[in-house]
Amino acid sequence: MRSRMHPKYYLSPEIFEREQRKIFRKAWLFAGLKTLLPKNNSFITRKVCGIPVVIQNFNGAIRAFENVCLHRNALIQGEFAGCRPLACPYHAWLYGEHGEVKNIPDCRSVYLISKAEQQKMKLREFPLHAIGNVLFISLNENPFPIEEQFRPHVIEMLESSSNLYDSEVMHTTFHCKFNWKLAYENLRDANHPRYVHRNSLANDVTFLPTVNTERAAEGLRPLTDTSPAGLRAEMKRFSMAAAEAQLINPKRELFHDQVERWGDQDSYYNWLAYPNMHIACPNGGYSFTLEHHIPIAPDRTDLEIYWFTARKKKPYAFSSWNLLSHMHGSRLVTGEDIDIMERVQAALHADAPMPTQGAYEFQNRLIERWYTTMMETDHEI
Amino acid sequence: MKSRWVVGGGVCLKQVFGTWTRAYPQDNVQRIELLPDADYAFNMAALDALDPAQGTLFVAFDERFGNFKRMELMQLAMERGFKLDPFIAPSAIVPPDAVIGPNAFIGEGVVLGIGCRIDFNAVVRDGARLGAGVHVRSSCWLETGVLVGDGADIGAHGILRMGAIVAPRVKVGKHCELGWPRLYDKDISSRTVFDTRYQEPIRVYGD
Repeated sequence: MRSRMHPKYYLSPEIFEREQRKIFRKAWLFAGLKTLLPKNNSFITRKVCGIPVVIQNFNGAIRAFENVCLHRNALIQGEFAGCRPLACPYHAWLYGEHGEVKNIPDCRSVYLISKAEQQKMKLREFPLHAIGNVLFISLNENPFPIEEQFRPHVIEMLESSSNLYDSEVMHTTFHCKFNWKLAYENLRDANHPRYVHRNSLANDVTFLPTVNTERAAEGLRPLTDTSPAGLRAEMKRFSMAAAEAQLINPKRELFHDQVERWGDQDSYYNWLAYPNMHIACPNGGYSFTLEHHIPIAPDRTDLEIYWFTARKKKPYAFSSWNLLSHMHGSRLVTGEDIDIMERVQAALHADAPMPTQGAYEFQNRLIERWYTTMMETDHEI
Repeated sequence: MKSRWVVGGGVCLKQVFGTWTRAYPQDNVQRIELLPDADYAFNMAALDALDPAQGTLFVAFDERFGNFKRMELMQLAMERGFKLDPFIAPSAIVPPDAVIGPNAFIGEGVVLGIGCRIDFNAVVRDGARLGAGVHVRSSCWLETGVLVGDGADIGAHGILRMGAIVAPRVKVGKHCELGWPRLYDKDISSRTVFDTRYQEPIRVYGD
């Protein structure tokens, strides 16, 4: 079976721009963790579709703004995370919780900006939605309800688990040489761990590829409802949350006694929030890794990795080293995935053969049907 | 005859045992291999068979888990009443005003500047050079050949890998690992890890 994914979808700057406009600037996107915003003036920063964004706690209200000062366009908050008022370091313009300019030092003597003019100035604000401790942002001024992007059980499972996330979070970034879509195709490919991860993940978990012939056949038919509502309904099918595999031999680790476990199954859990986030819990509810995929260019994706445990019962001295051992453990698996995806990307060229799909790749086929419809027509979500 | 027990594992164990065997022929220097079991715990039976009043003990163990396993073994020994000595290799240059804590390890050829302070359970391996007034806090691990400038402060449980150079007066926070071979010339937040397997530093936020 031929895939619909022509190499241009992984190589073309025009397609990349179209994706940014039609998917990433319309959909709800993972933006950060609320656990990093525990008190007044706590903030996190990031770039969303190239736009610098700051998400800040204003006395408990969490808001997202364009992180660019209205005076000289300097970044207002510079660190990945921190705690300070929303004040530009360049000339000390101070912003309030609605993005308004609260204070311009020496305004009357130096700037001669009238009060009325100052009152009109406001940072661009972006819609933000929290599911438990997971924050989603939309660049769409009038976003559709997040419930139209994620199914109820995905929201429930994300909310339930993330409410138990610990507030100590380890973070790093990999700059990867592959298109962002390869990551999601790979994540849905239960047939690759036994080959790519045969000396790592496959020793602990058995992933079994399954065939759904009905859905595989459905993926061959054209989409019938290409209205915005229809395309959103289709997109809703691409996110999931589930206990995906039984742990072969669950290991007891020192930190397990230090944290509150989420759930009681010895399972490998996965949450996939299309189009930019994946969470895995590899040990039955004791710790979580979050992968945030940020498209940079057709052949470049930044992969931000977060590690955190379930909530600590009380602080323990070696907690950061525990997170580091998790990070190093997953570095092996993440590195294997990055290597194979970079290998796929490196082989792509305009005349490369269209990929051949197996029936077990029915979910990827459904996504391709939706994606190519989005890219090749004027239909939007 | 006084006993000197060298307990733990790894290269430091061999080094301390060898040095003390030569340096203290009149003492009963014993080497006791003690490694964590499959549950990461130390079996302390070998230490329980000893009389702490008959000698002193040195815990030699690597930096695994942010030096916490070495500290754990040290604490288990202290709970049993053992007195812990530091180890200072014969060729190390240690000024008279340096302060060396219990169970600290100063390797061969190490040069400490005047006023250095090496807190308990810290390991400064062979050939490291520390400037004047450097403070290496407890349970650190400085690998062979690292350079630390005058007045720098290395936070507790820090790990400095080979090739790390810390500029004068730089403050390295707690639980950091400086694993990229380079000059670190700015203060470093606690729980920051520079590891050669990663393209960006690993940082920890929140608590």
